Amino acid sequence: MNVRTIVANGILAAVYIVVTMLIQPFGFTNVQFRVSEILNHLIVFNKKYFFGIVLGVFLANFFFSPLGMYDLIFGVGQSVIALLTTMALMRYVKNIWVRMALNTIVFTFTMFIIAWELKLALDLPFLLTWLTAAAGEFITMAVGAPIMYGIHRRARFDQSIER
Amino acid sequence: MNKMMLGRYVPGNSMIHRMDPRAKLIVVFFYVGIVFLANNGLTYAILTAFTFALLFLSQVPLSFVLKGLKPILWIMLFTFLMHVFMTKEGYVLYQLGTFTIYEGGVKQGIFISLRFLLFILITTLLTLSTTPIEVTDAVESLFGPLKRFRVPVHELALMMSIALRFIPTLMEETEKIMKAQAARGVDFYGGPLGERMKAIVSLLVPLFIHSFKRAEELAIAMEARGYRGGEGRTKYRLLTWKWIDTCLLVSILILAVILFLLRS
Repeated sequence: MNVRTIVANGILAAVYIVVTMLIQPFGFTNVQFRVSEILNHLIVFNKKYFFGIVLGVFLANFFFSPLGMYDLIFGVGQSVIALLTTMALMRYVKNIWVRMALNTIVFTFTMFIIAWELKLALDLPFLLTWLTAAAGEFITMAVGAPIMYGIHRRARFDQSIER
Repeated sequence: MNKMMLGRYVPGNSMIHRMDPRAKLIVVFFYVGIVFLANNGLTYAILTAFTFALLFLSQVPLSFVLKGLKPILWIMLFTFLMHVFMTKEGYVLYQLGTFTIYEGGVKQGIFISLRFLLFILITTLLTLSTTPIEVTDAVESLFGPLKRFRVPVHELALMMSIALRFIPTLMEETEKIMKAQAARGVDFYGGPLGERMKAIVSLLVPLFIHSFKRAEELAIAMEARGYRGGEGRTKYRLLTWKWIDTCLLVSILILAVILFLLRS
């Protein structure tokens, strides 16, 4: 990994934390509306954002999550699995909008990991928790797609990390 | 930006503060696993005693700990009530029409809420007594062996330090952007969904452009100084494993054995 990628991903993780802190409605339990989740869409522009997003999730959970260690393991696990899945799908799909749609579906589906976590930690009913958590994730990511595209048109995510 | 408290670190010089962050991380991970071994009154009592002993040793004021617990109170209450109403075991405690509360439900509710409280306490204790940078060092050291499988451990630790360094800087920057956009009439806290989305875009575009610029500058500065990570690089902060860290690990192992033997 070259220095530029390391630095850009480190700063991206910082952006993730800042967005989590400043635009913080409610999240971290079974219905999750964390605005910073929209940054998950960065992966569709360039695979090199992978570590920045994962690290952002890790630090956000470390600092702010009431579920503590559980969210560190499961939250990071979910992000890694979902991002890797999207990265694999990206080989076959080139269109940005389709990629974002796929990413939304992947993240929504993998919320079962979070539901499983809440089942383990709090013994909440699995299916209901999955449904509520997935609904929150789906809304955030779906609303986030046009937002991220809007930002991409000016900030050029695909090139910013390459220069 | 001093008002911003990142993480919940409370400076101190207690035994827990001085422990090797690696030992603390291992113990917290282990604890989260063995919490599930407790399943009756006695095992829960032992686990609670162990946790409070650690809290006491850390000398962190109780008010800080309680402040960290505030956001989870309603989750605990919700979990408790859910188990009270859903579990139908044991004898009937109370009945009102179709509404029945069983003894098993109350017990289950108390145990699960307590378990939740305990692992929140132990994680809070970690964040209260360990700086984020110590955690970074510990993670780098613990995951070191993964380098063999080509996991970029050192690079990840560096990213984490950079992220920690830039959070306050970017916070300040974001507040500035928010004020600048608010002065132009952007409303970040209300309005219909479409307007709010536009508001977020107007905040994130400058934030991203600014961040990428910062990254660029930092990368150039590092390259100009010939930065090379990993192999052969020395460290400013060194982690030292002391006998007390071994004691902590042994104590949690003993706790696990006791819980295993006493569980029903």
